Amino acid sequence: MTFARDSYRTVVVGAGIVGLFTAYHLARAGGGPILVVDRGFLSSGASGRNGGGVRQQWEARGTVRLARESVQAYRRFGVEFGFNIWFRQSGYLFLAENDAELARLRNVHTLVASEGLPSRVLDADGVARLVDGIAPGATVGGTYLESDGTLYPFPALWGVYEAVRSLGVEVALGVEVLGVEARDGRVAGVLTSKGPVGTSTVVNAAGGWSGDLSRRAGLEVPNVATRHEILATEALKPFLDPMVVRASDGLYFSQSMRGEIIGGLALPHPPGSSGGARSSPAFLTAMARALVGLLPRLGSVGVLRAWSGLYDDTPDGFPVIGEDPRLPGFVHGNGLGGHGFMLAPATSRRIALAALGQPTDLDPAQFSPKRFLAPSPVAAVERLQLG
Amino acid sequence: MVGEPDRSFSFRGRPRSARDGETLLSALSTDRIPLLHRSIQYHRPQGPLCGIGHCTGCLVRVNGRPNVRACRYEPAPGDAVTIENAWPSPTWDLLGAIGLIKPGGVDSLHGLRRPALATRLYQRFVRRLAGTGTAPTEAGSQALSAPSVERSTEVVVIGAGGAGRAVAASLVARGVRPVVLERGLHPPPVDGAELLGATTAVFLPPPAESGERRFTLLAFREPAQGVRIDARWVVVATGGYDASLLFGGNDRPGVVTADAALSLATPPRPPPFRRAVVVGGGRRAAEVLETCGDAVEAVVAPGEIRPDVVRAASDRGILLYPRSLLLRADGRKHVRSVRLCARSGGTKTTIACDAVILAHRRVPHAQLFFQVGATTEWRSGVGAYGPTVTANGATSVPGLFAIGSVAGFSPSEFALHAEVVTDAVVRGTGPAGPAPSPAAGEAPTELLGYYRELLRVPGHGRWVACPCVDVLVGEVERAVRFGYRGIEVIKRYSSLGSGICQGRYCLPDALLLLSILEGRTPPEVGYITQRPPVVPTPLAALASLPARSAVEGVPP
Repeated sequence: MTFARDSYRTVVVGAGIVGLFTAYHLARAGGGPILVVDRGFLSSGASGRNGGGVRQQWEARGTVRLARESVQAYRRFGVEFGFNIWFRQSGYLFLAENDAELARLRNVHTLVASEGLPSRVLDADGVARLVDGIAPGATVGGTYLESDGTLYPFPALWGVYEAVRSLGVEVALGVEVLGVEARDGRVAGVLTSKGPVGTSTVVNAAGGWSGDLSRRAGLEVPNVATRHEILATEALKPFLDPMVVRASDGLYFSQSMRGEIIGGLALPHPPGSSGGARSSPAFLTAMARALVGLLPRLGSVGVLRAWSGLYDDTPDGFPVIGEDPRLPGFVHGNGLGGHGFMLAPATSRRIALAALGQPTDLDPAQFSPKRFLAPSPVAAVERLQLG
Repeated sequence: MVGEPDRSFSFRGRPRSARDGETLLSALSTDRIPLLHRSIQYHRPQGPLCGIGHCTGCLVRVNGRPNVRACRYEPAPGDAVTIENAWPSPTWDLLGAIGLIKPGGVDSLHGLRRPALATRLYQRFVRRLAGTGTAPTEAGSQALSAPSVERSTEVVVIGAGGAGRAVAASLVARGVRPVVLERGLHPPPVDGAELLGATTAVFLPPPAESGERRFTLLAFREPAQGVRIDARWVVVATGGYDASLLFGGNDRPGVVTADAALSLATPPRPPPFRRAVVVGGGRRAAEVLETCGDAVEAVVAPGEIRPDVVRAASDRGILLYPRSLLLRADGRKHVRSVRLCARSGGTKTTIACDAVILAHRRVPHAQLFFQVGATTEWRSGVGAYGPTVTANGATSVPGLFAIGSVAGFSPSEFALHAEVVTDAVVRGTGPAGPAPSPAAGEAPTELLGYYRELLRVPGHGRWVACPCVDVLVGEVERAVRFGYRGIEVIKRYSSLGSGICQGRYCLPDALLLLSILEGRTPPEVGYITQRPPVVPTPLAALASLPARSAVEGVPP
């Protein structure tokens, strides 16, 4: 298969939720013709591998705002895209194991509440009311925001995929971008595994592979791909409403609409995308110890499957959104860590604006790719990279 | 092995008894295969299908512990066994109305999606219906805690069937003491080897690349004991299992695989059926006739019927239907008859029966090969993937060998092959030349031709493609029509293969189905990544394995 055209106005690399949403906004703004390419099949990357959590509790105001906008977008998703994503707003519960962690969560609460979101601080009893069967003494309290929630990622992907196709966007799956061609110092095309394509704008929405893609374009970037693992258990009748996240080790789990407990844990994996989509015995045993330690009643529940995906981490925990000043026409829409799905609706709108050469409302000191170029003091850091 | 009925337990509040060494499913199958379960979404009556601990059909609750497989559980005196996912009972389940209201399937992808109160209420209602069992009680979970088993050994043999025992014995004769894992609950001992019975290997990651090459294998021993084995060599002898088949009512109570039929027909119990229809005309059908031929009414085969099966059948007056399409099994709560059609649009026949025994094809248990990253190949005879092996059993992963039917060898070759594999392990040699071509598939079923005819049968869209998640054939066809291609995407679109058996029973059929619908070969349709663990593994078993900081700091 080759492409329908020799050249496109924009080539979006990555048909995950960020790339597809970006193509959607571009197409609606009349930014066509647009080609989206992806090295795998639809849902083969992190968009098909995440736990479906959507939260607005963050440590930096910029992230809280993007998340709040994304929650609103996911609430409207069914009407706009015709797919039921089963977005269930039954809260994110952050757990503290000691007073220092609780103090940190209180600061999150203060920030989140100042943005008009009704977050609450809970004591140990309040937590126990939300998590039936939690081990005594496992927590000193936590924070809870009911409008956070979980969704089912696949229908969201299908919805945006079908929407962009009906807007005339071409989506080419199983096509890898091998390099970016530059002429007169700006983007002139991309070289793909199916041949060259002309374009003046490339959007790097390749998630865990975005660092590799930037480097193939000759751009040094600080994005680091990190493998994270996740598991799902047998389906049980509903007994747990919120997504639970433990501040100390990043343990997170929720009960899906289908009844499965789905969750993960931060393990010190070596960076790099080479590990593929493998699972490790270390994760299975560590995750099982953490889950059973917190909720002893889960001991007899069977683990059904485990898998892994790539986070696309940046040094300061903020996404990278905007045109790269070193290569005009090369637009970053990446660096969303492990939270691309939850932040996609809001970030993609701004990535599309950047690709159209229009200004965004984002603080460049936090989101622009320029922030990594000049040795300047770090403006802020988003460290709540949990769950 | 099976003793007197001296284990008294309660089933739904009524006293029952089991013999020593007998499974719960066997004890409950007194006169016919029981109805214990309703399907997860439409609450159709769903029977025990596999008999070997994979399907959803025999899930019950025991002493506050949900999703216990009755076919893998031996009742202890005083056990309280109840049913789950049906109200008030599996025989009369009010939620069965869901399937009656929406016979073409509920469209969960496009249904109610406005952010309105109705959606919230609908969501809450649907969520209530999710899951099979209710969460375990803390006491139910804690009763399982047991110390873990850790071994470091030269060779681990996975599976103690014919091939596994042969290679273990051969290793012992050469002075190597292997650890042998066997999933069966009461395997006879293997002299000179350490045998762990009731133990299922669940996760074999690629061996560590740095330093001395060693495998770390995770397993669990019933009910929830964690097992971790380090070994230099791994010999996989996991064998195969009887596949499911697409037809109307293919998970009705009474439809069972030959695996289940043979395990339930163990003397001194009579088989829990009197007039069974056996599907298949090959070696496996012959085994069924040999064990319980007196309770068989007819043999129905997609292709020709082997002469030895014909002889065994005519000795007992069993009717033969070669080259037939099995259209449907009828009977609401239990199979009462099957409807057949001669291949290529011939005459239709109804046969009264009380069980359907699927013995038409055996598929290799190849999950571990996918996990470890070994090269696998499509075996068109059986319509499934198996490991690529050389003549001495070596796979593409150094140190990993395959033997027996999982490697494509027939039982008559096991003894000789065991010597060859042992020789390769003991001498530490690498792969030999190419393997002799694997044993040909059983009866020449022309699998794709058979499925092509099935897809022309009116009403096939309402057949169940994935019993664990209640995915209908029509939903798979719709996904293809909407432009979704490849099994990985179809799986995520339709949820097919994401249930409790993790696609073990629906995937072999789905691959053929998609091959026809997409107009490309099954290998081009792909294969769902085999994710660990091989079978649902209790969190308690995994949690019982102590952290190994050296390993856990640097996972493979």
